[in-house]
Amino acid sequence: MAKQKDKMICPKCGDEMNHHADKLIDPVKPEDMKHVNPALGGMVEEMHCCPACGAAASRRAE
Amino acid sequence: MTNSRPLSIPVILGTTRKGRMSAHAARFMVAQIAKRAGVATELIDISKLPMPVDDAGDGVKDPEFSAKMVRADALVIVTPEYNHSFPGLLKHVLDSCLKEYIHKAAGIVGVSAGPFGGVRAIQDFLPVIRELGLVNIFWDVNFGTVSKVFDESGKLLDDAFVARADKFLNELIWMARTLRYGRDNIALES
Repeated sequence: MAKQKDKMICPKCGDEMNHHADKLIDPVKPEDMKHVNPALGGMVEEMHCCPACGAAASRRAE
Repeated sequence: MTNSRPLSIPVILGTTRKGRMSAHAARFMVAQIAKRAGVATELIDISKLPMPVDDAGDGVKDPEFSAKMVRADALVIVTPEYNHSFPGLLKHVLDSCLKEYIHKAAGIVGVSAGPFGGVRAIQDFLPVIRELGLVNIFWDVNFGTVSKVFDESGKLLDDAFVARADKFLNELIWMARTLRYGRDNIALES
């Protein structure tokens, strides 16, 4: 799976966020199934934190 | 880079039962945290959250609760032991968030009418904490035979709990600071 390399921008303060975790998420809706990584058994969500204001954000890894 | 915001450590009161003795334990923990410099706290009573039961997970997310979880650096979760486990509504509330919890510290406070201080509920809770992305500390606070620990007004009757809460909070705050540094500054290997 290729990782997204571009930094997320904090939706609250505009600073660059730190990608500190990848979390495996269970598919819940039928449309989620196409995003399941068969090797990992779920969807991978990138977790980002803003060092400036502490905001959290996430996006699906691609 | 150092984040200078005060640590935020809310206390989640994890039961909706009428007459719950866990409320005394939760208020006690809030008071102990409030003594710490540079730490902000508040009581989050799950009975006060608008949490419908006709959906689950992200579908019942309350924006105010979510914002508090984003702000939090650590959680103190006060859970009674009901039928050897933690309350289902507590899990329903916690399941409404996910990204808000990742790489944050958690400490569990167990409460029971019997002598074991919620240890079975806590043991049951650990896999849930882990899957939510929280990092559980190795100290718990166990309020066993809780009717003898607090009087009806919530006054603490056993001062040993001050020292126990102190050790628990020392570890929780260390973990909260460490994980905040990591979230802010240490990128995932890729």
